[in-house]
Amino acid sequence: MHDVCAAAVDAATAAGAQYADARVVLKRNQFVATKNGHVERLSDSESEGIGVRVLVNGAWGFAADRRLCADGARDAALRACTFARAAPGKHSRQLAPITPVSGTHRTPVERDPFEVPLAEKVAQCLEADEAMAGREILVRQAMVRAQREHKLLLTSEGTEVEQELIECGAGIECAAARDGVFQMRSYPSAQIGSSCQSGWEYVEGLDLAGEAPRVAEQAAALVRADECPNGTTTLVLDADQVALQVHESVGHPTELDRVYGTEASYAGTSFLKPDDLGSLRYGSEQMNITADPTTPGGLGSFGFDDEGVSAERTPVVEAGLLTGFLTSRETAARIGAGNGGSMRADGWNRMPLVRMTNLHLEPGEGTLADLLADVDEGVYMETNRSWSIDDKRLNFQFGTQIAWEIKRGKLGRMLRDATYTGITPQFWGSLDAVAGRDSWRLYGLTNCGKGQPGQSAHVSHGAAPARFRGVQVGVRL
Amino acid sequence: MNALEVAKATLESVEGEAEAVAHVEHSGLARFAGSEVHQPTLIENAMVTLRVVQDNRLGVATTNKIDTAGLAELARRASDAAASAPPDETFPGLAPPASAPAVAGFDDETAALGPDDQARLAATAIDAGGDVPVYGFFTSALSELAVMSTTGLSVHQRMTDATALVVAADEKGSGYAEQTAWRAKSVDPAEVARESAEKAKRTRGAAEIESGVYRAVLEPYAFADLLDYFSHDSFGALGLLEERSYFTNRLGQKVFDEKISITDDALDPHGLPKAFDFEGTPKRAVRLVEQGVARGVVWDRATAARVGDGAESTGHAPPAELRDWGPLPSALSILPGSAESVDELAELVGDGLYITRLHYLGVLHPREGLITGMTRDGTFRIRDGKIAEPLVNLRFTVAVPDFLREVFGLTNKAALVNSQNFYGERYPYGVMAPAIASARFPVTGVGSKPGI
Repeated sequence: MHDVCAAAVDAATAAGAQYADARVVLKRNQFVATKNGHVERLSDSESEGIGVRVLVNGAWGFAADRRLCADGARDAALRACTFARAAPGKHSRQLAPITPVSGTHRTPVERDPFEVPLAEKVAQCLEADEAMAGREILVRQAMVRAQREHKLLLTSEGTEVEQELIECGAGIECAAARDGVFQMRSYPSAQIGSSCQSGWEYVEGLDLAGEAPRVAEQAAALVRADECPNGTTTLVLDADQVALQVHESVGHPTELDRVYGTEASYAGTSFLKPDDLGSLRYGSEQMNITADPTTPGGLGSFGFDDEGVSAERTPVVEAGLLTGFLTSRETAARIGAGNGGSMRADGWNRMPLVRMTNLHLEPGEGTLADLLADVDEGVYMETNRSWSIDDKRLNFQFGTQIAWEIKRGKLGRMLRDATYTGITPQFWGSLDAVAGRDSWRLYGLTNCGKGQPGQSAHVSHGAAPARFRGVQVGVRL
Repeated sequence: MNALEVAKATLESVEGEAEAVAHVEHSGLARFAGSEVHQPTLIENAMVTLRVVQDNRLGVATTNKIDTAGLAELARRASDAAASAPPDETFPGLAPPASAPAVAGFDDETAALGPDDQARLAATAIDAGGDVPVYGFFTSALSELAVMSTTGLSVHQRMTDATALVVAADEKGSGYAEQTAWRAKSVDPAEVARESAEKAKRTRGAAEIESGVYRAVLEPYAFADLLDYFSHDSFGALGLLEERSYFTNRLGQKVFDEKISITDDALDPHGLPKAFDFEGTPKRAVRLVEQGVARGVVWDRATAARVGDGAESTGHAPPAELRDWGPLPSALSILPGSAESVDELAELVGDGLYITRLHYLGVLHPREGLITGMTRDGTFRIRDGKIAEPLVNLRFTVAVPDFLREVFGLTNKAALVNSQNFYGERYPYGVMAPAIASARFPVTGVGSKPGI
């Protein structure tokens, strides 16, 4: 890997690049999914290649080639330089200075997921799948996944870092239908389960089969539940939905490339401006957000980002005040603060972008029961079902799989088709309590989209149940 | 090696029943922001997916290591996967040999475009933006798909595609335009930028409106996006079988306005033509909606076998990594209407909204086709039959069947709207959509102003 990267960096600098980096990435994924007792998908995929990024006359160029040999590396380097030279624009891109580093990083694992026989993975899925069977359950699904990403980054400044990141994930989901009402329920999170940087012990700890009967029972109950009424009320969210709320309405708007508009043509921009740093009130005093790529188990954990910047925990919102952005070396230089540390690429054939690492809502005090106890009338919502937010990350609308009304501090009847909507700073301003460390959980999602060509990032969010006052719920005309 | 050679070498590396799908990509994308290229990406790749069948046990493995050793390792992993699976008695078998229909979709000049050309065409868009900064990209690619199997199936297609996409935006306003085609000469980056910049200037001074149900004109960009999201649950056979589809128990019934006819037609030379699907089954044009009546959905071999009763694959098997979604349309086409222009549609609406583009759609309720999202980069009021003052971005929560139930009209021309966003391997697809005027577009909130 070193020799291939070195060939690329040497070729780029010889061709006139003032800066060059080369990343070799070897990625392997296993995925098992079952549906209604059948194996729906059983796949083992791998991909490898080199991505070469260059700065020529202040302009970026990037080229990727699947061939891991000196010829492939040199071809990619020269093509990247050609693209950079041809790129229209004034081009005066600068990088925040860093001290070159050498190092390695590896996800600690107890049980290597690729040593776990596929047959065992199939059996785990089928057991959980079968445990969801029941009247009115139309679709039962279970999945497990594993990923290993081995990569080496070499830069013309002398940085050389090698990392092996290992992920595992799992989840179950079922759908029920009755009299035209269609409802779904999942565990441990929405969409395709939850993932963690870990060995197979993470999947074993989820106890999919043990949770399956509850999931199926709730799906069946939901088709008989009343629709969530609309109105303005107190909203309590479970930790899973809080995690997505953090992702969409804090994570993306604090990506400094969005603030500068460089994502405008696809994912969008941000309601934040560079000079909001240190002065913008993002939310209430209970709101504390931290970016932390050192979090054990986080999908956004690493030793070094894809520019070779060492992982570091940084505050983003402190007691409701915006105190940090997620940055690259380029955006850090532009704003004149920090040196980056949030650059990540989706594999060898994508350019690194400013991405979330692990972004957490720091815990408060007490339990979910304590949050509910202080609600005379409201709604408690659990597990995301739908999400949408505008291009500046202001107006959002989320739906959850299940909800319950809250009456005099206790959960009441179950509700279906629950939604809530708001405007980001006002919503976070209405946060009046976050549950404590014992209720704080890490959720890992693998479908964060950004960039052209598109890239999917894997990120984690730590969150606890939280309470918001005066929120519009049950959005519908 | 081309895709057919990769597929052939892959099959030679494995014993027994198997299918190889090879996908080759040579692409370049010059992405720009603030009228300057900032993320130019060139990709050279060749992926092959091997599906092994051992006594009805199925295993799938994928690699881009296409030398002899890499393919031998691929065969081992696919065989291991198959050996780990229980027999699937519902497996319909690998697709039989078939002749792929002759389709358009390949252009030598587009295939030959290199990084200098892609940068030059991006510069054309940047220059045409004038005094409004532009954000977007020009991209072109040559991609190849080949499917071979031990049944004797062997199909191969070379495809080209090009897209210019521009958001023109400053602090006060933003506009949007795009063009996609399989022939780069059919894409005019300068025209895209001018349309976008002109739109941006008209969005300055945007106002808010009250929530409520409005009449609305949706440009092709917006209509295509809405229909694409609706199609994921409602136009595929798996959605129908799992009762997620709005068409569940409604096939043969009138569900939309009679002005609405929708097909999925990958053979249309005006779209991004495809000859076969990811199982190698030839593509067929499928009538989904005919004069407002729900007529059908798209099928792959697995869903067709599941229902039996003469059902056949329509050539809509997705790639292996999306197989659990079931068959999906990838060449939706809405029959145009008779309106000469969007201005004529605005006249039909009288009092309502004019919407250029949608953003971040989310399906709230698949069975009801209930979708939420935001408008973006060009939202206006329609007053007295004319497109009037600009509006801020609006949140909508619309049941697509309600939106399509009372349609005032559609334009007489459809535009091809790119739907891929270029995640994963390059496989360009889009929606052919006219502009539409509908009686029902529920607005449930207001968001940010247009602009950067």
